[in-house]
Amino acid sequence: MSGQMNRVKILVGGVQLRDGVSTVTEILGRIFTRAGLFAVAMERGYASTIYGAHQYDPMLVAEEPPLSYGDPVYDILVALDYDSNPDAPEQPNRDTVLRHGAHLRDGGILLYDSSTGEIPTESLQARGVRIFPVPARKIALTELKREIVKNIVMTGALFRLLGFDGDFAYLRQLIEERFGRKGREVVELNLRAAQRGGEAVERVLADRNYTLDVRLEPRPRRHRAVYISGNDCLGIGAIQGGVRFYAGYPITPASGILEFMERWLPRYGGRTLQGQNERESIRAAIGASLAGVRAMVGSSGPGISLKVEEFGVIGATETPVIIVDAQRAGPSTGMPTRPEQGDLNLVIGGTHGDIPRIVLAPSTVEECYTLMLEATELADKYQCPVFFLTDLNLSEGRKTVPEDLFARRPSIRRHGVLREQEARERPYRRYAVTPSGISPRVLPGTPGAVFKSSGVEHDEFGFVTIDPRKRAAQMDKRMRKLETYLREEAKPPYVFGEIRGNPVMVGWGHTRPVLQEAREILLRRGITVALVHFTYVYPLPKHLVEPLFADAGPVVVVEQNYSGQFADLLQRELLIRTRRVLKYNGLPLYPTEVADGVQRALQQEGAVVRIGSEVPVKVEVGWDEAEGN
Amino acid sequence: MKPKGIKLWEENAVPKHRIQWCPGCGDFGVLAALKQALVELEIMPHELVLVGGIGCSGNIRNYLNGNAFHGTHGGPLAYALGMKMANPDLKVICLAGDGDTFAIGVENFVHTCRRDPDMVLLVMNNGVYGLTKGQDSPTAGLGQTVEVWSEEHPPMVDPVLLALASEATFVAQSFSGDVKHTARMIVEAFQHPGFAFINDFSPCVTYNKFNTYEWFREHVEYVPEDHDPSDKDAAWRLVRDFARRGKLPLGVIYRNPRPRTEARRLPVWEEELRDVDVEPILATFR
Ligand SMILES: Cc1ncc(C[n+]2csc(CCOP(=O)(O)OP(=O)(O)O)c2C)c(N)n1
Ligand code: SF4
Repeated sequence: MSGQMNRVKILVGGVQLRDGVSTVTEILGRIFTRAGLFAVAMERGYASTIYGAHQYDPMLVAEEPPLSYGDPVYDILVALDYDSNPDAPEQPNRDTVLRHGAHLRDGGILLYDSSTGEIPTESLQARGVRIFPVPARKIALTELKREIVKNIVMTGALFRLLGFDGDFAYLRQLIEERFGRKGREVVELNLRAAQRGGEAVERVLADRNYTLDVRLEPRPRRHRAVYISGNDCLGIGAIQGGVRFYAGYPITPASGILEFMERWLPRYGGRTLQGQNERESIRAAIGASLAGVRAMVGSSGPGISLKVEEFGVIGATETPVIIVDAQRAGPSTGMPTRPEQGDLNLVIGGTHGDIPRIVLAPSTVEECYTLMLEATELADKYQCPVFFLTDLNLSEGRKTVPEDLFARRPSIRRHGVLREQEARERPYRRYAVTPSGISPRVLPGTPGAVFKSSGVEHDEFGFVTIDPRKRAAQMDKRMRKLETYLREEAKPPYVFGEIRGNPVMVGWGHTRPVLQEAREILLRRGITVALVHFTYVYPLPKHLVEPLFADAGPVVVVEQNYSGQFADLLQRELLIRTRRVLKYNGLPLYPTEVADGVQRALQQEGAVVRIGSEVPVKVEVGWDEAEGN
Repeated sequence: MKPKGIKLWEENAVPKHRIQWCPGCGDFGVLAALKQALVELEIMPHELVLVGGIGCSGNIRNYLNGNAFHGTHGGPLAYALGMKMANPDLKVICLAGDGDTFAIGVENFVHTCRRDPDMVLLVMNNGVYGLTKGQDSPTAGLGQTVEVWSEEHPPMVDPVLLALASEATFVAQSFSGDVKHTARMIVEAFQHPGFAFINDFSPCVTYNKFNTYEWFREHVEYVPEDHDPSDKDAAWRLVRDFARRGKLPLGVIYRNPRPRTEARRLPVWEEELRDVDVEPILATFR
């Protein structure tokens, strides 16, 4: 794909907490967004917040919204690394190149910080890669006297390579907004840094006789857009959806939600609690919900595991809570900074006994917002746990999102919460047996009604019972809510292409853009496949799904976990056989490998294709990223 | 509207003859004291939330009028915390056992003392797990001389000391054999602006054959009139002095409200949630 206009895939790499990798990509994402382009930076390559690990942030920029972040093939590699000790045997300033050089396309561009010496690049040059050594840190330290501007030197250099923002108008504006308060000098210093980066590139161009074939041009558009993460989008959705109590305990990759809520909820009259542990968080949310507030908690696998006992409380006491699970690679502490879809079994099965529950899994950053609006309504209406499954990439990845998405201001409906007048009308029964399974709530403090709410089996009034008939009636009533939900609310999966007689790819949650792109790759290869993608994951809307698969060809479920948790659910619910394409090595799914995997799975009944596990992964650097978090 | 007295508290409750406590259980005294206190405080049942622990003691929530909630073992304080944060106007009291509070729920006890939500915790301390048939709780061994310890049988937790060390702002002790005094403590606890903890000695007549009513009567002693509960040093001294004499102080041991930020009920109704403008948030992502 050499030289495509207005479509570039960049990878910025460096030493975590030292080189400012995400500072650079944050600047790039915002500026490209302001320039009317679409930036997609969903794959966040980082370790737990520990100094010194390798960090990388790939970003695809295009003039039309890209389907997905695409394959790991880069047009430009920006290596911010430098050597702090040039005598050390391992040279960090080669890290980005060593790790990602192989993914640089033939004829691509390597821009690296050559402050502590040039690095060997013969093998890249042999593939036509143009090499741009820019001594950014040296320029920053010796000429500009401020090491911190080294990243702006690199940004200026990158913009020059892209032929973008030649007069640094976009950059100037962003810098003025950021540092304007610190005075003109700081702004000018930054702009000089950008200029020096541009000049350094000019020099290389002249010395080495390179020509440039990638280019990014602004496409100013009428509507504004934001450069935003899934966590932030679901936070906005929660606030618009009426959530006014949030509780969390810090954990990657859900901490961003806690930070968002701490910052914003109070401005909308709400409160955010950093729990002293995972259980305090969810219990406080249950308490707040009992008092009438729409309440939400967020965590990731290890924290969700600790909350499991409260799933049952929520289910049995019928106290609505939205539970966000920003999944990361398990089991145990697993890989805290790597994506996975491994918590499905936990959220559909976690608890002793049976409870009604709803599981939603947004498939894009935008859906983190729109589906959260639904989640807030569903929890309120069905008085049960509503799980909201994202994953590390979707939670923390950022993307250009047009603002008209947020324009609709949903009006909130309180479902089945009695006010004083209604509450006084008859003796109140908290767990009244109803045809829908939903019993009206009263909030504590409502004159005229008193409730007894309990996780112990209870009668209609909420008093403890072990009477077989009352128990059955209450269990039936609670579980009947799911029938009501399936009838009234559950949405069908996305369907792309013609299912009848064709092989069907199936996915769920955040992988949809990649699977859509994989499907297009397969179509280009002459393989007709349909894609069925689920965001309303559980309970599976069987009545809507079963007809879809009635005359389908082989079904291949693609997901990011070891066993195929969704495939198991599908098999169990629909009594169909599935083939599986599974990936769990900690890297995101990429379109081409998915297409290859599906193609292989189609060759054999019952096939399980494990991406990235047949070939030992080449370890290029002796030590590995850190643990913890 | 004035409460109709004790009778009001007997509505919306399990009838007396269906109460599932052993005859003579200390929890009966707490139930009586609680009703007296609520009448005195002129609280209305709909304003009250009784958050029960899991155990014989936690069942008290269903034995009187008022809203009630009951979730997991060890959880009451955290549920109650959320309720109070959501609606500061509610009157919230947690009613739990010593196992619930100091074993499985100790994480909540320590941090609730620090957080200081404006609510009451009354622990019916009987030194055993009553509901599961008499196993040792963390407060087992009160008043007993033990020569050697082991991992299986460690020294007991003193709830009062733990509360003081955890920065509780109100710490009182009562004995359910003295209903009037217990009621007094409950009233004062509700009047305290912050987290008020009452450690109530509530004999388990079935499983604790050592700490009986008679034993308690011999060992309890009221906090002297001249004790200044607002003085933390005095509180520590008092506890130490009583311990040295093998006595258990009854009364308010420590009371010292902390300055608190104002809190209001969180938005709940449609009209409070309408027309939310997220523009200020979006502006930070441009
Ligand atoms: C998670 C969990 N573990 C164990 C139990 C069983 N259990 C019920 S009550 C109880 C102990 C009760 O002791 P305490 O809190 O002192 O109350 P008491 O019955 O003495 O009033 C236990 C262990 C439970 N309900 N939940
Ligand atoms: S077992 Fe003990 S605590 Fe439980 S009801 Fe009987 S006397 Fe009371």
